[in-house]
Amino acid sequence: MPRPGAVIEVDRNTPPVLFHFGEGIRLEKMPFGSRIVYPPDPLEPIAHPERAIKRALAKPLEDDPLKSLLRRGMKLTIAFDDLSLPLPPMAAPDVRQLVMEEVIDMAAEAGIDDLHIIAALGLHRRMTEDELRHIVGERIFSTFHPDRLYQHDGEDTENNVYIGKTAEGEEVTLNRRAAESDLVVYINLTLVPMDGGHKSMSTGLASFRSIRAHHNAKTLLASRSYMNPPDSALHHSCIRQGQIIEDTVRVFHIEMTVNNHAFPAIANFMQKRETDWTPQDQAMFLATKQMTDLAPAAFKRNVFHAMRAPYGLTSVQAGQVDAVHDKTLDAVRKQLTVTVEGQTDIVTLGVPYLGPYNVNSAMNPILVVCMGLGYLFNFYRNKPVLRKGGVLILTHPCRYEFDAVQHPSYIDYYDEVLADTTDPVEIEKKYEMRFAEDPWFRQLYRKSHAYHGIHPHYAWIWAAHAMDHAGDVIFVGADRDVVHRLGFKCATTLEDAFEMAEQTVGRYPTVTHLRMPPIMLCEVD
Amino acid sequence: MIAEALKGKTILVTGSTGFLGKSIVEKCLRSVPEIARIHLAIRSSARRPASERLEREVLSSPAFRRLKEELGEDAFAKLAAQKLDVIEIDLGRDGLGLTDEARDQIRACDVVIHSAAAVEFDNPADLSAQTNLLGAARLVETLKASGARPHLVHVSTAFVGGMLRGVVREESPLDPGLNWRHEAQVLSSLRGPVEEESRKPEVLHRLRREATSRMGPAGTPAVARATERLRDRWVKDRLVERGRVHANSMGFSDIYSFTKAMAEHAVVELHGDIPLSIVRPSIIESALAEPFAGWLEGFRMAEPLILAFGRNILRDFSGLPDSLLDVIPADFVVNTVLAVAANPPPDAKPRVYHAASGSRNPLRFRRIVDEARTYFTEHPLRDRYGQAIGTPSWTYPTRQEMATRARTALRVVEAAQWFVERLPLGASIAEVSDDLNAERERLERGVNLIQLYGVYTEVDCIFDTRNVTALWETTPAAERKTFPFDPALYDWTHYFQDVHFPTVVRMSRAETAARRGQQPSGSTAPKAEASSVRSAIERRAGRGDVLAVFDVDGTLVETNVVEYFLWMRLRAQPLEEWPAFMVDILRKGPRWLYLERRSRAEFQRSFYREYDGLDPEVMKRLGREALDAVTLRRIYPAGMRRIREHKRAGHRVLLLTGALDVVVEPLAELLDVEVDCAHLLIKDGRLTGDLQSPPPAGEARSALLEEYAGRNGVVLAESFAYADSLSDLPMLELVGTPVAVNPDARLSQVAGQRGWRVERWRMAPGNWRLPMPDPRSPEYREAVRR
Repeated sequence: MPRPGAVIEVDRNTPPVLFHFGEGIRLEKMPFGSRIVYPPDPLEPIAHPERAIKRALAKPLEDDPLKSLLRRGMKLTIAFDDLSLPLPPMAAPDVRQLVMEEVIDMAAEAGIDDLHIIAALGLHRRMTEDELRHIVGERIFSTFHPDRLYQHDGEDTENNVYIGKTAEGEEVTLNRRAAESDLVVYINLTLVPMDGGHKSMSTGLASFRSIRAHHNAKTLLASRSYMNPPDSALHHSCIRQGQIIEDTVRVFHIEMTVNNHAFPAIANFMQKRETDWTPQDQAMFLATKQMTDLAPAAFKRNVFHAMRAPYGLTSVQAGQVDAVHDKTLDAVRKQLTVTVEGQTDIVTLGVPYLGPYNVNSAMNPILVVCMGLGYLFNFYRNKPVLRKGGVLILTHPCRYEFDAVQHPSYIDYYDEVLADTTDPVEIEKKYEMRFAEDPWFRQLYRKSHAYHGIHPHYAWIWAAHAMDHAGDVIFVGADRDVVHRLGFKCATTLEDAFEMAEQTVGRYPTVTHLRMPPIMLCEVD
Repeated sequence: MIAEALKGKTILVTGSTGFLGKSIVEKCLRSVPEIARIHLAIRSSARRPASERLEREVLSSPAFRRLKEELGEDAFAKLAAQKLDVIEIDLGRDGLGLTDEARDQIRACDVVIHSAAAVEFDNPADLSAQTNLLGAARLVETLKASGARPHLVHVSTAFVGGMLRGVVREESPLDPGLNWRHEAQVLSSLRGPVEEESRKPEVLHRLRREATSRMGPAGTPAVARATERLRDRWVKDRLVERGRVHANSMGFSDIYSFTKAMAEHAVVELHGDIPLSIVRPSIIESALAEPFAGWLEGFRMAEPLILAFGRNILRDFSGLPDSLLDVIPADFVVNTVLAVAANPPPDAKPRVYHAASGSRNPLRFRRIVDEARTYFTEHPLRDRYGQAIGTPSWTYPTRQEMATRARTALRVVEAAQWFVERLPLGASIAEVSDDLNAERERLERGVNLIQLYGVYTEVDCIFDTRNVTALWETTPAAERKTFPFDPALYDWTHYFQDVHFPTVVRMSRAETAARRGQQPSGSTAPKAEASSVRSAIERRAGRGDVLAVFDVDGTLVETNVVEYFLWMRLRAQPLEEWPAFMVDILRKGPRWLYLERRSRAEFQRSFYREYDGLDPEVMKRLGREALDAVTLRRIYPAGMRRIREHKRAGHRVLLLTGALDVVVEPLAELLDVEVDCAHLLIKDGRLTGDLQSPPPAGEARSALLEEYAGRNGVVLAESFAYADSLSDLPMLELVGTPVAVNPDARLSQVAGQRGWRVERWRMAPGNWRLPMPDPRSPEYREAVRR
């Protein structure tokens, strides 16, 4: 049986603990008495994914079997999540490919000709052909690309339709093809509790007009956290929008979960607890550490981004959205949850090389904040591991480095907006529309492979709750100028960071290190 | 007695737009109120008529501020109208180009003060001869011919004796056995042959080669202009050189003192029965007290030296520390001139007066240096950080040694500059080049100063002032206060510390206070980035007739045509063919570099031949792919921001580039702006490698821009242009707001000289990739298979 997560106390015999450090790693000695939270070990994957998929499609939850929904001559659309999931990208074959092939086979049997496959990327960047091919597999790609396999375009006024308004006044738009289909099959892969459910359609196939209803500072500040949908204003809003969508078009949801086996054998030491490291793991750690300390950035990036995760499928369910998603969340929580008793004054986190928005590119400073203060901080239920007013310590080099193709609007956001203010609410007031409607960014989003102009703002407000909650944020080993621009503090070593933190939280603070990734969800009493 | 003697007199002052002439006129107006009339001999210049010059160049001078304050503006204007008038006199023409009326006016003059001269030591020989020598001769001849017999006061220079040793008497200069007419003839006819020589093929070739090396890519007209400028400069240098050598061979230090000496001979020979007095000032410096302490106009002899000392530019200087440096305040010269004017010689024998300090109040070279050290220690100049600059300790080597040292350093710097400018590194080298340029200027200035003034610090003579002293003794005590001219009256320390050095520093506008007298506050709060271009954009917001024209390669995107070509070609061939292709490109590289340096158009023509035989459709598709793979990755975010600012302001935006349509058009489409780029000819469905029209580089670019402006009603004087290389110079010159973006070394120099805005735009860090597709990508493999 895989071990559940663990909380251990640091004593004389505790080995130094691994901190992710962007495209690098560090081993740090934690102070005696502090605690380290480890994620659970990967659950056993389903032995025969194809069979499980077939079973799920044949016996959906609160819905008719997919086969019975397919009719000759119908307009069928398959939508699927983009490459921001899972992280790192999954070793081929991607489970989405398996499901998609199954659905397409069934559609072919039913004699359906009008079949479109749309990457539901919302305001994310368009994927390159290689990336798309990796998700859907060679067979589907060569058959359907580019006419019937394409990517959603949230700025295409022709092909996004307004379908209504929620009771709260949130506008809802939908991809025209999806809206006009007789059936939409949504193929989702849920890695963290934030994903899936109604959020799939209401962000993936939407436009800025409907996404801004919940992607705003106010909603994010009221989502505690957005990793726990019942406590998340973001999700409540998505559900309201999702209901309007379900009223407009028949959607058959297929959701899958995977275990947290995020690192391939070569980086096994990242997956394992330090106490479990074998001599091979130690050697691999040393080799990796030497490589990352010495190698040029571009080389390190290539090595890290070439890693594919050997995720194993842990569940697959299909049918009506709420029923499916409840089961999905159960499966996710089973894999991720660690019970942690009480909050602490200081929480330390290593920010890894990869977040949802920098697949195959550099993690720029805004994305570092999004990853550290956004995603990693928010992996909790009930309340954060960090007490209100406590100090969050992050390790990341945080260089002034931007991918010009994928993140052009991030550059302007950093150079112009953050130079002005770092307050999410104020930024939203002053700059939201300017970035959202900038014609150049719109062009780059539509024609090139750039995130939408507004996206850096979303990355920034993802951290709004953490900024509000933490008394201080300290980056270890980062570029000082950059950290200042971001509005945080910078320390050379972890020890210095602890000393600085004591100014805020007092002498002899309580400390917790969250040893992520692999990711986990801290259930805090 | 002086005021009394000049009472009711009419005087004529030549050179009244000059420093001394102006001072004389002012003193007359202020201290000889009963003077009848002052005629100012002024020549109409090319730009303004003589009467306007009186207003603009004489009366508005600070010299008259005191009078205006004492009398009030209105009363002053009335006085000026009443006492002053202009006579158009051209000393460059025989008969002075006088009208009849002017001739009558001259006939009525009682005193003529001739103070017109070309005083620069490094004037061309012919100009000096014309102004200083023939001008004086013509004046005397005209006076004689007019039948008038005014008292002529000829202002000369104490150095007319050449480099003498010992006491120089106040008498006509020794006759070196020269005929002034012959000398005048020789010197003024120098220009013709020199001009002719400058047009000899070997000289023109050399100048043109130099111009091409400096301005080559900017196009033929720019090179032609540069060549002509160089030729002009060459002629002037040659004439200066000829003049100096000529003067030196006659025993004079420079052409100025030589021509003035010859002028004295001429005046003495010609004056006949006209009473003649000659005043020989030594080195005239700022006024001691009148019209105000420190009145000075233009930089004269010692000022550049003093500043160079204060700025620590001149680390050493030659000279004899104990030599007499004969300096005389301007107001003392003015008073001497007026005293002399009031005392015409009793007989036909000309009288000579030395307005010099050496015998009455000697000043040694070392004293000046010491005074300067004291002054600059107390009131240091500041460098650009606001730090005080220290002063050098001079060791006084010989002039020869000094000059050799400076020239060697200059040669080293020039060699370094030559080398640096030829490195194919573009903008990254511009800073080094700018530094070298500054260093070269510093050295050149040093060499120049040594050459021009070194000799004066080695003077070993004393100017006898017996005549002036005698004049002083006859001056009644009452008037000694109004017209002081005895150099023993003042103290050099006072003169330098309180009058002259402050004046020099003030006039140089050198930074003397550390940030307006305040220490920096130490605030580390980020300062708002001020861009003068941005404010210019805001000022012209909402105007559809304003154009912003952008060069592309190197200005908006860090690429060049070669990289695009590489990327597109590699993308279209299988991996195994890459090595052979790369070898071929590398082999041709040096030739392209050479052509690029000569002329952008030639380079493009030659390079685009590589496209011969390619499929236009394929290239178009590859160009579109290069947009994501190359262009957008290498783009300058600041450039994109600037384009959008222009578009927000309602301006037209045009990309004007020599890059090919296949790579530029996708970008322009994305930016939604107009584009003018190079197109290749297509024949039988294949590219030919020939351009449809001449490459839009150099002057062709400015022609295109003008044509575009005409077609679209664009006001170029209000428009903006952004470019990075010298080949864009003609385009930049056309518009009102040129901006040099990441300029290469040569454009950086030009931009610096013309005060253009320079901006440095950078790629987002971490985006540089080799211009080759990823051979591991399935996309690439599939594309090759196709």
